[in-house]
Amino acid sequence: MKPAPFEYIRSGSLDEALAAMSAHAGDAKALAGGQSLVPAMNFRLAQPAVLVDLNRVPGLDHLDASAGGLRLGAMTRHRALERSARVRAEAPLVADAMPHVAHIPIRTRGTLGGSLAHADPAAELPAVMLALEAKIEVRSVRGVRTIPAGDFFTGLFATALEADELVTEVTVPTRPAGEGWAFDEVARRHGDFALAGVAAVLTLDARGAVSSARVALFSVHERPVLAASAARVLLGELPTPQAVAAAAEAAATQDADPASDIHASAAYRRHLTRVLVGRALSRAAERARPGA
Amino acid sequence: MTLAGAFVFRGPRAAVWELLHDPDVLAAAMPGARQLVRTADGRYEGVMKVGLGPVTAAEFTLVVTLIDEVPPDRFTMAIDSQGTLGFTRGSARVALAETDGPATTMTYTADLQVGGRIASVGQRVVESAAKAMTAKGLEALQRALDDRLARAREGAGS
Amino acid sequence: MPPTVGKRVPRNEDRRLLTGRALFVDDVRLPGMLHVAFVRSDHAHGRLRSVDVAAARARPGVVAVYTAADLGGYWQHAPLLVPPPPVPGLVFHACTQVPLARDKVRYVGEPIAMVVAESRYVAEDALADVRVHIDPLEAVVDLERALEPAAPRLHEHLDSNVAATVHQQTGDYLAARAAADLVVTRRFWYDRGVSAAIENRAVVASWDPRAEHMTIWDTTQAPIPIRNGLARLLGLAESQVQVIAPFVGGGFGPKIMMFYPEELLVPWASRQLGRPVKWTEDRHENFVATTQERGQLHDAEMALARDGRILGVKDVFLHDTGAYDPYGLTIPINSQCTLLGVYKVPAYDSAFTAVFTNKPIVTPVRGAGRQHGVFVMERLLDIAARELGIDRVDIRRRNLIPPDAFPYDHGIIFQDFTSLTYDSGDYRPALDQAAELIGYERFVRDEQPRLRAEGRQVGIGIVNYVEGTGIGPYEGARVTVEPSGLVRVATGVGTQGQGHFTAFAQIVADALAVDVAAVRVVTGDTREFHWGTGTFASRGAVVAGTACRAAALTVRQKILDVAARRLGVEPERLELAHGRVRVRDHADDPGVPYGELAAHANPLRGAVTSGVEPGLEATAYFGPDRGSTANGVHAMIVEIDRDTLLARITRYVVVHDCGHLINPAIVEGQIQGGVAHGIGNAFYEQLVFDEQGQLKNGSLMDYLLPVATDVPDVEMVHRQTPAPGNPGGLKGVGEAGCIATGAAFAQAVEDALGGRLEIREIPLSPNRLFELLHDTASPGDPA
Repeated sequence: MKPAPFEYIRSGSLDEALAAMSAHAGDAKALAGGQSLVPAMNFRLAQPAVLVDLNRVPGLDHLDASAGGLRLGAMTRHRALERSARVRAEAPLVADAMPHVAHIPIRTRGTLGGSLAHADPAAELPAVMLALEAKIEVRSVRGVRTIPAGDFFTGLFATALEADELVTEVTVPTRPAGEGWAFDEVARRHGDFALAGVAAVLTLDARGAVSSARVALFSVHERPVLAASAARVLLGELPTPQAVAAAAEAAATQDADPASDIHASAAYRRHLTRVLVGRALSRAAERARPGA
Repeated sequence: MTLAGAFVFRGPRAAVWELLHDPDVLAAAMPGARQLVRTADGRYEGVMKVGLGPVTAAEFTLVVTLIDEVPPDRFTMAIDSQGTLGFTRGSARVALAETDGPATTMTYTADLQVGGRIASVGQRVVESAAKAMTAKGLEALQRALDDRLARAREGAGS
Repeated sequence: MPPTVGKRVPRNEDRRLLTGRALFVDDVRLPGMLHVAFVRSDHAHGRLRSVDVAAARARPGVVAVYTAADLGGYWQHAPLLVPPPPVPGLVFHACTQVPLARDKVRYVGEPIAMVVAESRYVAEDALADVRVHIDPLEAVVDLERALEPAAPRLHEHLDSNVAATVHQQTGDYLAARAAADLVVTRRFWYDRGVSAAIENRAVVASWDPRAEHMTIWDTTQAPIPIRNGLARLLGLAESQVQVIAPFVGGGFGPKIMMFYPEELLVPWASRQLGRPVKWTEDRHENFVATTQERGQLHDAEMALARDGRILGVKDVFLHDTGAYDPYGLTIPINSQCTLLGVYKVPAYDSAFTAVFTNKPIVTPVRGAGRQHGVFVMERLLDIAARELGIDRVDIRRRNLIPPDAFPYDHGIIFQDFTSLTYDSGDYRPALDQAAELIGYERFVRDEQPRLRAEGRQVGIGIVNYVEGTGIGPYEGARVTVEPSGLVRVATGVGTQGQGHFTAFAQIVADALAVDVAAVRVVTGDTREFHWGTGTFASRGAVVAGTACRAAALTVRQKILDVAARRLGVEPERLELAHGRVRVRDHADDPGVPYGELAAHANPLRGAVTSGVEPGLEATAYFGPDRGSTANGVHAMIVEIDRDTLLARITRYVVVHDCGHLINPAIVEGQIQGGVAHGIGNAFYEQLVFDEQGQLKNGSLMDYLLPVATDVPDVEMVHRQTPAPGNPGGLKGVGEAGCIATGAAFAQAVEDALGGRLEIREIPLSPNRLFELLHDTASPGDPA
């Protein structure tokens, strides 16, 4: 499989990259890790006329703590997120998700910005960022804007990005003290696309009842979705096995809208959703510190 | 692949029927349709360029043939679409029922065969993509219907 | 010197392989070389109306584009590779593949046009320029549907999609059934997949018009028949064509399918254009362009006495042969014969119909139909055991062929055209040893109940298999001692990772008393050796190995004779060690190195003794009357996750008997690899075709191969019941690891699920288990 001919632009700065994206808007694709784009090009499913290589653009791979939260450059490699003590401390949900993202060699090249911009419905990071209420900074020659994760993923492989825009930074807001988290997915083989997955955070009030819950589902809808019905069931309740089971049931029957494919039927995916949400809510509740 | 569903148009059935037979409206509504031309009675030909995430290369020629028309009740379309990434072939049955509003409930069932490259490496998303494109197309048709009805009211009013 | 056969000698070839210095076909780069891409059918069935290549020909960088019309007289159906065996009443319709489709296409992927360009990139660009007009026809992929009267017909000169019907029987099954206390009747479905060798196929051809010589590098398991066939088709002398199968990254069967369209066209194109031409298959192409093994649907029944003795078996099955049948009936005959297994079956009635379908061509893949037979037999025994209240291992014990019954003639015809006769075997101890090693009794009595009480779903499976190996017709080898002392061995079989460079070296080293590293083996080059058939059916080590041994022993005698004349002593007083000849008991005699004797035996001047051949060289051939029968037992413990239905194999035991081992490390590699392959076919791999013959998982993203974390370390025991048919007592082992896995897995999973399901199909998957448990199977599913 050889790709169709394309023009290659190696950008030396963000301004150069944005200028190239603007000049070729609609015909250009940004090359970050390339772990999804290049196979699509090799299969000739994608035939961008222009590739804008971001790998030598400085200033896009920072991993900083700030007052507002964790600021992650779009070109941060998955492997860096995986191995960062700061990420483990500030955003353990991200740290738990990373080992499930493909395999180590792929994680050394794949990037955070690339994963979000690609918006594969089975990807881990979009769901994690949705659960964590991340803010996604996006730039073009026309300026800069910030899109909340909840508004960023608009449909099947679709985001709010315009044709000339690049993701430049992702901010994970400082999480509430005592927040519990859990990540889980089911895949046929380690590193495969998930058949179903969940990234969840929740907090407990002084009496131990659930005061907030964000349960992001992936691979069971055309984009990552918050299991709003599940959260409604759980809000104000003690996280007993019965409450968790009811929430998991709501997630499976009302929030998930899976399609069938050769690996898993819609019914099986709903079943897995029920299993995973149940597990994740229990685990997150165990980790949460009440009254925080 | 079977795509089936229903969609409620805000508008009378006769208007919806007309809309669904207007190649310019259909061309504008179908995601990625570049052109759609009536080449014979009940036969439309055109070009579609479909994009989904990284898949940008999907350009297809499209031939739609209307058969079994029972205006304004129902019709069947034979669909034949070919490109370098594969082909889609099949038929779709569409039925229109007028309800209060006036509104029209359109029910559709499409049996489509997808073949070629897109079928053998895209199976993970082919069904979702078809559903997503159908949903987008129907929403676009609703907007076209709104426009058409608004212009008709203006015309009648002036 | 102590013998090396039987020892774990490190492999001669590994250094080159591991340091990237081994030559594979895609490594061949020649000046002026052109690259090929194929236009392939997107439709599984259709009339090919026209192929317009004008735009493709006009593209810069494209040198030529060929369709069927351009081939002229070269266009013809490929030869039938394996004629049907002499079974009375057999019906067989040979419909072999063509180089480029002409009037009809019969499977997705069938080649329609060949583009030759300056690079593969340009060639692929040009594929989009070619306009193919196909009028689609209804396709048929389901075996039963294909036999219905109104089914679309693939080969219109036939009156149906029947490729063959074969009926074999011994004893009186109806009488057995009438006398039975229990008759078990079931339908079974066994699906398979691709061989997924790590190296896809490739062909490079270079026609030198001055030397009038064609050199072809080909990832084939059969370089000699390819050479002979291509020479004939191209109108050249055999000696004008050289086929080289260099290092090949896995064969597993599809690379012994011969006269693939690409194999026929690349040399032809080189001749037309006077330039070297290369085609390298990519992974996506491999799913349709390289042969695979497909499904079988069995309606089987077993008649038993109350004590579990088998009185008879009847099996009626359909075999999917794909769009063409160039490989004859090898696979279904193997299924038919291997079903009998290690058991006494007094009455056997087996009939199959091979069916054409609009899918890629089916030819043997590791196991070659044996697993289908094992699956049916072992499942019938499991069901019978349950219904009779007999333990699974006991019922098997009660039916084994006893050790004094060999050679054991079953009375039906095998794939080597002779009657199915097991030459040797000792089945009871193997079964007992496997049960012991996996802890069968302890598991069933103590562990399983304890784990079940904790809510875990664990099960155990234990099955037998037998494997006919080492069949003829023959192979040959030539052993030469060079003046440097290096020993060179040439044989016609190819090597795709089986370790021939070491195994054959060990055999020769032992015969000649040299170090294994001093023996250089060449395989797969027709210029080095041009008599033989190829590597298939677990026969390479047995047949070619035996020929190596015979040739080496003749060279040994020549060494002794030449040395005797030279030293003026009787040959009986000489001994060989470390590449030197010495008079026995003369400890301080350094001896004469073989190389010196080789030079001495090839004088440039003077007279030679009449009747004596020059040098120290000999060629020998070996053709067994019949194959040798290997056997084994697979046992596994599996856990099925209660919630996700994912499977985890916690233990895997193989007790196998392949006669004497040349190199235990190589044998263990074969078995571990075979088990991995078997696990793939049991729980991960499945080619999914839709009703119109479209493959829905044509990439490794969606066609799941097990990875290292999915495959346990196999605990192995080697038993050695020597084969009487060859001096080394050798039996083959290449396919052993994957033949019984499906049956063992089905038994273990059924056991783990505690009787909630009866498993009658393979492969399984978590999704499939969910469907079966919730009875939500979708239409079109078999059984």
